[in-house]
Amino acid sequence: MDWKRMSGTMALIYGVMALMPLFVGGTDHLMHILIMCLIWAVVASCWDLIMGFAGIFSFGQVAFFVIGAYASAILALTFGIHPLAAMVLAGVVAAAIGVLVALPCLRLKGAYIALVTFAVHMILEPFLKSDMGRAIGTGGSRGILTIPPMELFGITFGAGDKVAVFYAALVLAVVCSVIIMLVIRSFWGTAFLALKDSAGFAASLGVSAFKYKLAVFALTSFLTGLAGGFYGHYIGMLSTRMLGIDLFVMLMIMLVLGGIGQFPGAILGAIVTVTFNEALAPLGTYRPMVLGALVVVLVLALPDGIIGLLRNLVPGRGAAEPAVAESTAANAGGQG
Amino acid sequence: MYIEEYLDVFISGLTNGSVYALMAVGLTLVYGVSRAFNFAYGSFYSLGGYFAWVLMVYLGLSGGYLMVLLMAVPFLIGFGYVTEKVIVAPLRKRSDWEVKVMMITLGLALFLDNGYQVLFGPRMKSLPPIMTGAVELGPIYIANQDIMIFVLAISGILAFRWLLNNTRIGMAVRAVAQNPIGAKIVGIPKNRIFAATFGISTVMVGLGGILLAQKYFISPMGGWDILVKSWVITAFGGMGSIRGGLLAAFILGMLEAYVGYVFGMTWVLFALFGVLLATLAIRPQGLMGKWG
Amino acid sequence: MKRIIPIVLLLTAILTLTGMAHAGDVIKVGVPLAMTGPYTDTGDNYWKGIKMAIDEINADGGLLGKQLEPIRFDTQEFAPERVMQGADYLVGQEKVDSVHAGWAGWGQDVRAYGKYTAPFFADDGSQAAVDVFKEDPEKYANIFQLTDTDINQATSMFNVLMALPYEYPNKKVVIINADDAWGTGVGDTLETKFKEAGWEVALREVVPYGTREWGPIMTRIRRIKPAIIHVEIVSAPEVITFFRQFMRTPTDTILSYGYSIVPREVVETMGKEADGLIGEVPTAMPTPEAPTPEAQAWVERFTEIWGHQPQAGSWAAYSGVKAWAAAVVAVGDEKDHAAVNRHIATVGYKGETGWWKWDEDHVMRGGGDVPFGHYQVQDGEMVTIFTDPPTRPYKDYKFIKPRWIK
Repeated sequence: MDWKRMSGTMALIYGVMALMPLFVGGTDHLMHILIMCLIWAVVASCWDLIMGFAGIFSFGQVAFFVIGAYASAILALTFGIHPLAAMVLAGVVAAAIGVLVALPCLRLKGAYIALVTFAVHMILEPFLKSDMGRAIGTGGSRGILTIPPMELFGITFGAGDKVAVFYAALVLAVVCSVIIMLVIRSFWGTAFLALKDSAGFAASLGVSAFKYKLAVFALTSFLTGLAGGFYGHYIGMLSTRMLGIDLFVMLMIMLVLGGIGQFPGAILGAIVTVTFNEALAPLGTYRPMVLGALVVVLVLALPDGIIGLLRNLVPGRGAAEPAVAESTAANAGGQG
Repeated sequence: MYIEEYLDVFISGLTNGSVYALMAVGLTLVYGVSRAFNFAYGSFYSLGGYFAWVLMVYLGLSGGYLMVLLMAVPFLIGFGYVTEKVIVAPLRKRSDWEVKVMMITLGLALFLDNGYQVLFGPRMKSLPPIMTGAVELGPIYIANQDIMIFVLAISGILAFRWLLNNTRIGMAVRAVAQNPIGAKIVGIPKNRIFAATFGISTVMVGLGGILLAQKYFISPMGGWDILVKSWVITAFGGMGSIRGGLLAAFILGMLEAYVGYVFGMTWVLFALFGVLLATLAIRPQGLMGKWG
Repeated sequence: MKRIIPIVLLLTAILTLTGMAHAGDVIKVGVPLAMTGPYTDTGDNYWKGIKMAIDEINADGGLLGKQLEPIRFDTQEFAPERVMQGADYLVGQEKVDSVHAGWAGWGQDVRAYGKYTAPFFADDGSQAAVDVFKEDPEKYANIFQLTDTDINQATSMFNVLMALPYEYPNKKVVIINADDAWGTGVGDTLETKFKEAGWEVALREVVPYGTREWGPIMTRIRRIKPAIIHVEIVSAPEVITFFRQFMRTPTDTILSYGYSIVPREVVETMGKEADGLIGEVPTAMPTPEAPTPEAQAWVERFTEIWGHQPQAGSWAAYSGVKAWAAAVVAVGDEKDHAAVNRHIATVGYKGETGWWKWDEDHVMRGGGDVPFGHYQVQDGEMVTIFTDPPTRPYKDYKFIKPRWIK
């Protein structure tokens, strides 16, 4: 996808989102769903950047999200740091841990990276619950129940004022999306596509896989941690129950629906997935089963997610080529 | 010192290891042959358990475990084969197919696990013990059930080795694993081999499920632990290396038992991942894995 | 075919839901429970009690002449945003006039539902939830806990262990608990209590859910030969495997299972094999013989409807609905939430075993007509041997020395 279409699609999605409070601003429940759409859009986009574009099978996105959430909450509670500053610092903490994880990971391949990053996810829960966790203020298995909301310009961005939180989340999502888009558009993006196509050839041209992969690990962990911090201050409480398999699977579905390596598809994927999951709620016990079946069907039926489908429906400049990453590489390369 | 205690823990480790070996071998086989990572592996474990439960408890068929095993093998092979054909094979031609295979199998896992919950209810199910009683050697006490599990797991692995080394299909599987292009040139139907390995791996883990259900029970979400453990073992031993997987299974089984004994159960998970990370830092391909 | 069924279900569900919205005078009741995921079974136990109470009220002509309409919400794995969404959906959007939950979020729920005024009943059994309440009792005036805290329950377990008509061979105890809030709370309290009483806590293990292989712990237990082992993991496979592996070479030990005795699979799977185990249930309906004829009739009704004995939580959740309904009748207006809350908090409710009284923290403390029940498995079924506080034997049921103790 060329960058005009990319930014156009993004502007359209976020533009429509920005108007939503006009219709449902009075209904807390729906506003909450919209806010969660935006938060997950950031996390899913980061995951897409690292997995779809950089080709690193990182399965640690939920872990970095939770690390960010806890870090921001602890910083704000223990040290009385302003939540906004705490969020940014939490992003830095997540990025630092991201780099620590990346250092051993980047020597590995495929499913090994998936395992090591997933190991971070697996270990995080016992760690947060352990005495070590309690010592740094995670509240152990109780969690943290009193996280102060963010206050800025006299507005409290807490669970009480969902419209305010929504627009704050929108700003966060737009900023993160623009950063991700710039990365994809930049020399980095081209380098990744080259690396994915032919690692050997790219290396011979002087593209250092290690440096770029490390940077993308740091960046996605930072943004994910930031989103996590935002989540914590918005909800006002945290527990290790976010590390269940539920959220992990939901994020994966967002990616499938949006299309892997089809940014800004992940944003659309997040919105559609959350809405869909809520629409399935009347199914009760059958919901996750239907969700699972849908994933299977969608992966088979939509090779490039909704974005791919849309591109086929709405012919444009980029649509003439076959919808695979290689063609996007040529496209992005040509303009870069 | 507590020599007999160390022996006691050793036996725990050995039992653990044999079961892990049986289960991890299937995961590593599929990855080695077709590079597909199966996220529904744990759900196939539960499938074996529920299959046996339906036969033995729900339908109340007599004939014991022998009958169950005889019926389970074709059922599981068929299930795995069809699964590969229907949902994994069509993805091979696509871009990012490895990620997509992970995702589609994750979807399948979600479908199966919640399907079990809807069909069989959230409560655990149990199977009659395969054997009761115990052997006592002085202070050492070994349950017959554990001996049976050990023997059956080892025979399962041996049968699997025999299959790989001595049958046409086994040789074809090895050929595809070692050199997919060469295998294609000599006319081995690659796609059918992929599906067949998926079927065989389903049998391995499904039998593990039947074997363990009578000791550890069956529950809808019970497969996740198995997936994670198998994954750790496979990566530790080297993805695609069967000997590495066997070695890793016993090392980790022992590690788990001794860490639990000396430091406490809380530390088992930390220790498992710690050892895995340390190993991968030194040998990125695992104990016996090869690059590729 | 498999894919058609859910779609048909979805359509019928949507149709019934939209149909219901048009149905005349009803009172909506919110029911946020785990309907999927690992907590489905406990959610199911609460639902059976709530459904039974609602059906009874509706069969009697409804509440203030209006039928009750339950609106369910799936809390899944209790992630914070999920708990909050439940509150915003049920109370914020559906405008329910009371909420009946079970395990609901161990403090997260207090914050989520405390924003609103509709009475909220939870079965958290958690000091964390009470601590949140205490921050602002006025704001959280609509929150009611159906069971006492983990700390008080653990204290009660300790008291009964000390009151058993049994001579302990030594003063060594082993405590094993799950790594969740409940398990840790009980484990910590017991550890303190035992130490205060001059016992040696020879081993304290915190284990994750999913533990099935107890070999290494058993090895250490056999060396320690403790007089008591307390296991607090509310999940049947864990505690059954523990028991079976313990029984291979048992020591002279009282096995105390606390709340872990609750999952019905424990007695249903093991039957008489489980004889001798000791456990505790808060807000308990003592069995096999209930304390009053009304209570006995309730147990029989429940068993007839659902086809099995009531499980922990069912009766508490049932009583929550009835307590709210009684308050609404007294106030005469289900919309006057403040008056309903005040009535529940000050007057309480007269149930099958006697009076339910909430204390100033809005916690249904164990004792009085609704004590903690302490059970022993005898002849394959749970038998109440003690109630507490005050600690006293229940009817003519007696503690029996477990068969494995020499």
